[in-house]
Amino acid sequence: MTGAASRLTGLFLLTAVAPVWAQQTEAARRAFDLERRGSYIEAIAAYRTVLATNPADPAALFGLERSLVAINKLGEILPEARGALKANPTSGPLHGILLRAWAARGEPDSVRAVAERWAAADPRDETPYREWGLAALARRDAGDARRAFLTGREQVGRPDALAAELAQAAVQQQDWPQALREWLAAIGRVPGYRSSALATLSSTPEAERPVLLRLLGTERGPGARRLEAELRARWGDPAGGFEALSTSLPQNRAAAIEALVGFLDQIRSQTGPVARRAQAMTLTALAERSTGPQATRFRLDAAQAFSEAGDQAAARRLLEGVAADSTSPGAAASTAATTVIAVLLAEGRPDEAERRLGGLARSVPPSERAALNRQIAWGWARGGRLGRADTLLARDSTVDGLAVRGRVALLRGRLAAAAALLTEAGPFAGTREDATARATMLALLQAVKADSLAALGAALLELERGDTAAAVTAIERVAAALPADGGGAELRLYAGSAARATGRTEDAERLFRAAREPAGGVSAPAASLALGRLLLETDRAAAAVQVLEQLILSYPESALVPQARRTLDQARGAVPRT
Amino acid sequence: MRRRNFVAASASALLGLVSGVRVGAAVPRRSASWLLVPMDDAQSDHLKAYGLAFRALERGERSEWLLNYRYGSFLLPAATGTARDASLNGVVAEPVDDAAVLAIRAEIAEGNMDAVPLEKVPKVAVYVPPNAPPWDDAVTMALNYAGIAFEKVWDPEVVRGGLKKYDWLHLHHEDFTGQYSKFYLNYAGAPWLREMVQRNTATAQSLGFGSVPEEKKAVARAIGAYVEQGGFLFAMCTATETLDLALASPGVDIAAGYADGTPADPDATAKLRWDHALAFQGARVELSPTTPVFSDIDGHQVNSLDRRQPLGSFQLFNFSAKIDPVATMLVQNHRQVIPDFYGLTTSFNRRALKPSVTVLADEAGAAWVKYIHGDRGEGTWTFFGGHDPEDPQHQIGDLPTDLALHPHSPGYRLILNNVLFPAAKKKELKT
Repeated sequence: MTGAASRLTGLFLLTAVAPVWAQQTEAARRAFDLERRGSYIEAIAAYRTVLATNPADPAALFGLERSLVAINKLGEILPEARGALKANPTSGPLHGILLRAWAARGEPDSVRAVAERWAAADPRDETPYREWGLAALARRDAGDARRAFLTGREQVGRPDALAAELAQAAVQQQDWPQALREWLAAIGRVPGYRSSALATLSSTPEAERPVLLRLLGTERGPGARRLEAELRARWGDPAGGFEALSTSLPQNRAAAIEALVGFLDQIRSQTGPVARRAQAMTLTALAERSTGPQATRFRLDAAQAFSEAGDQAAARRLLEGVAADSTSPGAAASTAATTVIAVLLAEGRPDEAERRLGGLARSVPPSERAALNRQIAWGWARGGRLGRADTLLARDSTVDGLAVRGRVALLRGRLAAAAALLTEAGPFAGTREDATARATMLALLQAVKADSLAALGAALLELERGDTAAAVTAIERVAAALPADGGGAELRLYAGSAARATGRTEDAERLFRAAREPAGGVSAPAASLALGRLLLETDRAAAAVQVLEQLILSYPESALVPQARRTLDQARGAVPRT
Repeated sequence: MRRRNFVAASASALLGLVSGVRVGAAVPRRSASWLLVPMDDAQSDHLKAYGLAFRALERGERSEWLLNYRYGSFLLPAATGTARDASLNGVVAEPVDDAAVLAIRAEIAEGNMDAVPLEKVPKVAVYVPPNAPPWDDAVTMALNYAGIAFEKVWDPEVVRGGLKKYDWLHLHHEDFTGQYSKFYLNYAGAPWLREMVQRNTATAQSLGFGSVPEEKKAVARAIGAYVEQGGFLFAMCTATETLDLALASPGVDIAAGYADGTPADPDATAKLRWDHALAFQGARVELSPTTPVFSDIDGHQVNSLDRRQPLGSFQLFNFSAKIDPVATMLVQNHRQVIPDFYGLTTSFNRRALKPSVTVLADEAGAAWVKYIHGDRGEGTWTFFGGHDPEDPQHQIGDLPTDLALHPHSPGYRLILNNVLFPAAKKKELKT
């Protein structure tokens, strides 16, 4: 046939077939459109029209399946599914539709028969067994699902075949060890299953967890270690998790970083010293495997985490490393150097901090240097070297400087001078918490009235040094020497608050009760509120209710009444306790 | 005497005492013998005001609910205990003398208002499982916050006839179709769901039922009988829709296979007996086990991706206080338009309502209503869609709402209207 003749024949065929084909396409498009609009009944009729002409049209059959599922009548697809399979007896997808149709009709024997016929077409294919088992899982028959998956595994001839599906069946049967074994097999084959494994295994009941951890301990390979680490993290043992992970990190740097970042994601939101330490160790391990600014960032974050975990020495070592590293970016090195000073102060070493600051003269901006200078001065003051603190602060006329000088004056017992300096510092020095503490102290000084009380200064110094027991005793002694309405009650309330903050509840209760006298005194409402809260915290709700009711009824005009009512609600169980 | 007749008669009698007194008439001023608890914006804690009125009743003090007067105020005797209670709870209570009360009564007589005596302390029961589900219960929170005493009941007490001793029963999130709120597949493996399944299965077995759905239907029937015999029922969220589905499906399997071992009857919808239901008719049952939707009663279908409707706001209806005091009590509020909030059942499609149902609130122009009421036998029922009026999209595991942050909540006021409404009853309705 010549080329022209061929083209002519082709044209002839096209013109003969085109009307039928165009009608089919239009009907399919209309059916899909109806389905998309949610008109499932009409869509079903339209898809059936298409299938009446072409029973094996997979797009129409899948559309019919979707529409029937939407109205919960999938079982009605059976005639179309059979018709399609007759036209294409080896099609896997068509077998799948028939299988799901039988499942929707609640006919497990027919589901199995379809799966077996389907598998006969390709004995190495897992899909028939997966569909069969999932149909059983959907009707909560984990036993039948397990039989389906195990048959598939045997037929396919691979020990890790259908492992993820078997793990799901085991979870449904609450067989957690079996679920773990199957998940490990699944992860071994497809590492991406790890997140699914973690999600399902993390809800293992507490009593079963030691069994799973023992099983994991007997498994070798980084996959098992990593799963163990992340499960431990989710189960509240981040330190154990890091230990499990660190012993099995892959040599490959990228793979190790991926594992460490994954673990860090699991523990990132956890708080408390143990969790912060685990975060610090993970960040350190990440820093060791990273370079450039990324490594510096990890080290700084790790130092922060170590510091918050209470390990100042480890934090300082990391920071010194960053500051001394000539490859560290300038800003990072400066940040590290200044943070080292803060860490030294937290360790109680103002001398070393002052020496370091002297060495940073040029690299630290003046405002930051002044701030560090104030921190060092306060470090000296806390150590009892008040003269040294005054010297360092002598030329600092900022509001922050005035605030620190006021606090140093307080430690000397120079109450009038302290009050003047703290007032002058105003509300904007330091943080919001600093401002609140200053206001509280000013209220106390106003009540005490005396210009100078060296014993009170010494007691406050004990408090700054962390010796709460000695401080509380000393403040109480000062209070005893003052009239109750001349600062005695306020000092008892202050001492009680300090005792409560450090868990000395018996001392706190005694001091709060004493601070409620004299009745009608300025401190009585605040002392009653503090006492009510303390009683509630120590599970004496009935006693708290009594104290709080007395406060509300005795001092109805007090600004503390709304807080008292709130605490009263909590004591009565009227609102959730937070 | 039916409750509605009684309320009208007693209110008229009360007003008869003050006939002839004109507003502004000179009446000698005496010391305050009453406390007026305003429920307009002068009130500092609307929710606790209900508790104040309830506890006054408990102390045997005869109080009145002034319908539509300052948005449903309370008039309480100026007893020392009540003043103390108001002060402790931060409830505004204005001392008023007899002359002022007479003026108030005159104003009430002339407007769409009424004074309803509150005489009986209703014995309140909340239907709640013994364990704590991971979601809050608006009514329990409202009762706790207001300080209204209640007892908890569950399936064993209900099936064994234990509801007789209560005047008022609240249902919240319970699924009376026995399908665990249809969370079974989506939350498979969650410890709270496992515990819920174990507890319900064990309870059904101990009560002699073959499955949880069958047992829940028996519970629903007992609740229906409780209303029939004069009980006051208040239901929210899923309890509204599933109670009616359970009542309407005697002998029909509407539960998924995971709940009772057999798939739901594909023709369940056609077989439902709506004459057994309290509020709804002609609805279609959602048979898909994986869709956490029960039927097309709910207008919002929050858990159906393709059918979910956005939240709007709903508006309370006005009723004639003197002619229809029951409906008036249920809608007392200082706000007429209230932001809507989701629940597993958020609202009720109008077309699914029985003709006898009284609509108390709806969303203008929408196909659904929010708040409905009706009678059954000697008792009444009220359904309020949604889960938590101050947490519009409450999720499983969310912290419970702290009502101290919402003391003026108009949505919670509707709940508390329902709690106090049985107090207006003079005599026991039940035999």
